[in-house]
Amino acid sequence: MKRLKVAIKYCGGCNPDYDRVVLVKRIEERLNGKVEFVSAEDENIDLVLAVEGCKTACADLSAFKGIKIRSVTKIEDVEFLCIEHGHSA
Amino acid sequence: MSLMTADQYEESLRRLNLVVYMFGKKLDNVVDDPIIRPSMQAVAKTYELAQRPEHEDIMTATSHISGKKINRFVHIHQSTADLVKKSKMGRLLGRETGCCFQRCVGMDALNALSIVTHNIDKKYSTSYKQRFLKYLEFVQENDFTCDGAMTDPKGDRSLPPHKQPDPDHYLHVVEEREDGIVVRGAKAHQTGAVNSHEIIVMPTIAMREEDKDYAVSFALPADAEGIFYIMGRQSCDTRKLEEGLMDRGNILFGGHEALVVFDNVFVPWDRVFMYKEYDFAGQLVEKFAAYHRQSYACKVGVGDVLIGAAQTAAEYNNAAKASHIKDKIIEMNHLNETLYCGCIACASEGHREPGGTYAVNGLLANIHKQNVTRFPYEISRIAQDIAGGLMVTMPAEQDFKSPATGKWLEKYYTAHCDAPTVNRMRILRLIENLTLGTAAVGYLTESMHGAGSPQAQRIMISRLVNIEEKKRAAKKLCGIEEE
Repeated sequence: MKRLKVAIKYCGGCNPDYDRVVLVKRIEERLNGKVEFVSAEDENIDLVLAVEGCKTACADLSAFKGIKIRSVTKIEDVEFLCIEHGHSA
Repeated sequence: MSLMTADQYEESLRRLNLVVYMFGKKLDNVVDDPIIRPSMQAVAKTYELAQRPEHEDIMTATSHISGKKINRFVHIHQSTADLVKKSKMGRLLGRETGCCFQRCVGMDALNALSIVTHNIDKKYSTSYKQRFLKYLEFVQENDFTCDGAMTDPKGDRSLPPHKQPDPDHYLHVVEEREDGIVVRGAKAHQTGAVNSHEIIVMPTIAMREEDKDYAVSFALPADAEGIFYIMGRQSCDTRKLEEGLMDRGNILFGGHEALVVFDNVFVPWDRVFMYKEYDFAGQLVEKFAAYHRQSYACKVGVGDVLIGAAQTAAEYNNAAKASHIKDKIIEMNHLNETLYCGCIACASEGHREPGGTYAVNGLLANIHKQNVTRFPYEISRIAQDIAGGLMVTMPAEQDFKSPATGKWLEKYYTAHCDAPTVNRMRILRLIENLTLGTAAVGYLTESMHGAGSPQAQRIMISRLVNIEEKKRAAKKLCGIEEE
């Protein structure tokens, strides 16, 4: 089965409420083998994971028009995301 | 190249032949000098973060000239969104370094010149904007750090430049040649000067016709012949020469300032952006000052560090649950976030100048900077209150390591919390560093005088505020009718 290609796009991280890099590492570990993490420049992205440091959610997503975008704005969002993509906690 | 890495930046500095004096001696190696190196590392952070995906949204921009991805510090603001990102970048880097990272002044000089060169050309049919854009492209392509040099020594403050007993107290033109000009003078308090590839000179005050030889703006390589640097001292600076790191407080980063002397320095015409157009000197000062007053967004990031340090010190003292400590932390946050409001507001309320560059709202930028002249002092006072006197009475790191004294310091300076005594000392040293050590230069006195002393902002506030509209609103509500 074709694995979902997921690109990570961070906001700038001026004053984040949590450690975004740690969150992404956690997501990557949890979804290892279930989805394929690709560069934000990849031409065949299925899903963009917008990692926003706070509710302002200001990441520039203009390069991803027409692509499904899922935003995370807090550390708890990792659970929902992992469950959505087939990995229970 | 467009984007340099931190390592490439450091190597690029090694290729410069800067003439730098410190403690009465000429330095052989600026980059590795233990007093200066932490400041170089702070500038390097502006390069490092631009390479990291988790910060590129703020740290990089798209050049309006080349379309390439560039560091935001060499970008000309193309929207209010750019201005907001600039403020956010200041907070980010202030928090990452806990000090002045020195690169904003060059960004502000570039943006001010992009506005003013356009305006001079409109009036005098000159070609400064074209020259400037060519220079900007060079800076962007090489990802240079630029020193924006405005403040002249000023000599007798009661006299204009042309009446100074020593004419060099304001930088001025001493010779005009076919291929360029020769200038003499100095620029004081130059933050990050010896970590810069280029130096961009601007006049320091509004001028009249008699001062036209002083109305000059240009850019030169930092190691151009005739330029030399005399480093300023900072409180506790020689702790960087001592064994160990703890007593430095901030073990990684710092800032620096220098007096930059221009001893008959030649400037080729293609590097001259204002030449005797005295009627635009004031405009360049104002545009630069407004941008630079916004740039004090960095102090919010440094404030984040100090608040974090104060909270940590309170926890290490087992005092964090006391209601007055909680209230003091709230007050620190209130002041710090009020500063943040100002730098975001002046950016959000920015506008497009005729040449296309976006400028901040001048009134709000001045209000923001006026707050910056006050709030960091109050935040520091509260931090020292929470820290306690040990912050300034604790013995040296060597005493903690000494077999003779270490056990006694461990015995008497433990606070019976989970944290090791040494960590308690480290956080106190950081508070000391920020509020009265090397970093206090940036967090306190620079907050007071950098980008203009408090009175300069008050003058601008009185000029920019629309008092007539306020009067009209008041009169309307109470039934006063006037023609």
